[in-house]
Amino acid sequence: MAERRLTDRLDETVDAILRRGDATGALRDRELAPLARVAADLRHYPSPDFKARLRAQLESQIERKPIMTTVAATPSVREGFSTVTPYIRVSQEGLVDFLTKVFDAEETFSGRGGGGGMHREVRIGDSMLMIGEGGVGSGSVMPIRPVAFHVFVKDVDATFERAVAAGAEPVGKPEDRHYGERSGFVRDAFGNYWFIATPLGPQSLANALRTVTPSLLLKDAAEYVEFLKRALGAIDEMRAPGPSGELRYGRVRIGDAALELGEGDPMPGSFMLYVADPDSWYHQAIAAGATSIMPLGDQPYGRVGGVQDMTGNQWFFSRPVTARS
Amino acid sequence: MTQTTEDDRLLIEAAQADSARFVEIYERHVDRIYAFVSRRTENRAVAEDITSHVFEQALATIGRFEWRGLPVSVWLYRIASNAIADHWRERSRHSDEPVPDVPDPGEVEDIDRRIALYQEVERLPDLQRHVIRMRFAEEKSIREVAAALNRSEGAVKQLQLRALEKLRKSMGGHG
Repeated sequence: MAERRLTDRLDETVDAILRRGDATGALRDRELAPLARVAADLRHYPSPDFKARLRAQLESQIERKPIMTTVAATPSVREGFSTVTPYIRVSQEGLVDFLTKVFDAEETFSGRGGGGGMHREVRIGDSMLMIGEGGVGSGSVMPIRPVAFHVFVKDVDATFERAVAAGAEPVGKPEDRHYGERSGFVRDAFGNYWFIATPLGPQSLANALRTVTPSLLLKDAAEYVEFLKRALGAIDEMRAPGPSGELRYGRVRIGDAALELGEGDPMPGSFMLYVADPDSWYHQAIAAGATSIMPLGDQPYGRVGGVQDMTGNQWFFSRPVTARS
Repeated sequence: MTQTTEDDRLLIEAAQADSARFVEIYERHVDRIYAFVSRRTENRAVAEDITSHVFEQALATIGRFEWRGLPVSVWLYRIASNAIADHWRERSRHSDEPVPDVPDPGEVEDIDRRIALYQEVERLPDLQRHVIRMRFAEEKSIREVAAALNRSEGAVKQLQLRALEKLRKSMGGHG
């Protein structure tokens, strides 16, 4: 109970320091005073975002070789992965079982994460997905939230039935679509949307996409494409405008991975980019307007840094310790 | 010549030959200059503006920099003190209080302690570090931090307490 009171007294002191630069009231409190002195020194703690932005500005002035001419064509440096791998966080286990039953997903890695939850990796066709189940700690940088995917399968009707049998909610029954696909839509128990499709003909997008492609739904999708070009060197591959000129469907390519995007209720996600030079990607994204959520650092598994953009999408840039050169 | 000033000389020469190396000067001195500036300015936005100006100015003029055996920090402090003086002149305040070119020994000690503290923040466990960054560097309220981390306000206050206790301990009780 006493410690609980100390947490409140300390918080009031921190508020006073931040508002008025004043910790004098705490100095009479023997328990609080030494902590208040530390807090007073932290009042001028420089923002990591500010330092990263300034560094990026200086690098820009130095006119270093533009990195995006090379990174856009650079494949992932992690064997078996494309440049962009979605990271889905869910509150508890169950998603891997669902993906195995519905899409014949193959689990390639499973281990305890730093925050106590499980980190799992699955392959579906030629695509990898990473899944974080439960846990706290470092994982909390990445929120638990549903995301959306476009998945190509051999038989959409059979896959749709398996998804519903595995507990998914039907959102749209399989139908032949004008864009060259027979598609059905479901939402899994965690709220993720799966746009399941079988190509019908040459106008299908299947040839341009992997088995699983993230679908980013957001407001002002056209403007967001411009951001992706500046921040991640995305190549603008396709734009299909809607009746009001909005971007109904767009596709960009980052490295050797494609992303789909379009106007909709925002469903931001988290993505891991395996790249040879995470520092350059990180600083370039911040210079384009993203905010640091994980400053660059060396972890046991490799060098990594992360940013969040204005739509809430998170991008983590990593060079694993086992990266091929 | 001390090892530090010899390192400074080599780094200055490297940056003069290849301006990309200036980033190393920036990384080595940004916390120090920010600490110097933030003591003399009224808020974080002004401190950030002036710190940005210092390094942009240093980058622009490094080609003309003549090595005279003084640490690089002295050069950067001088740019900073001029920028701080300009700032207050524009505000028509403190114009009769000259800004020292370089901090006095007592202030250097204070700046060194703060830099050591900032380095200790980087060594905190992830969640504690996030709380300290959001609370102090981003000046978020406990409620905002709790929402961002998906934690209760009580849990965030506990993390804040644990972090400050850990920092106080690692600073040898001289926080």
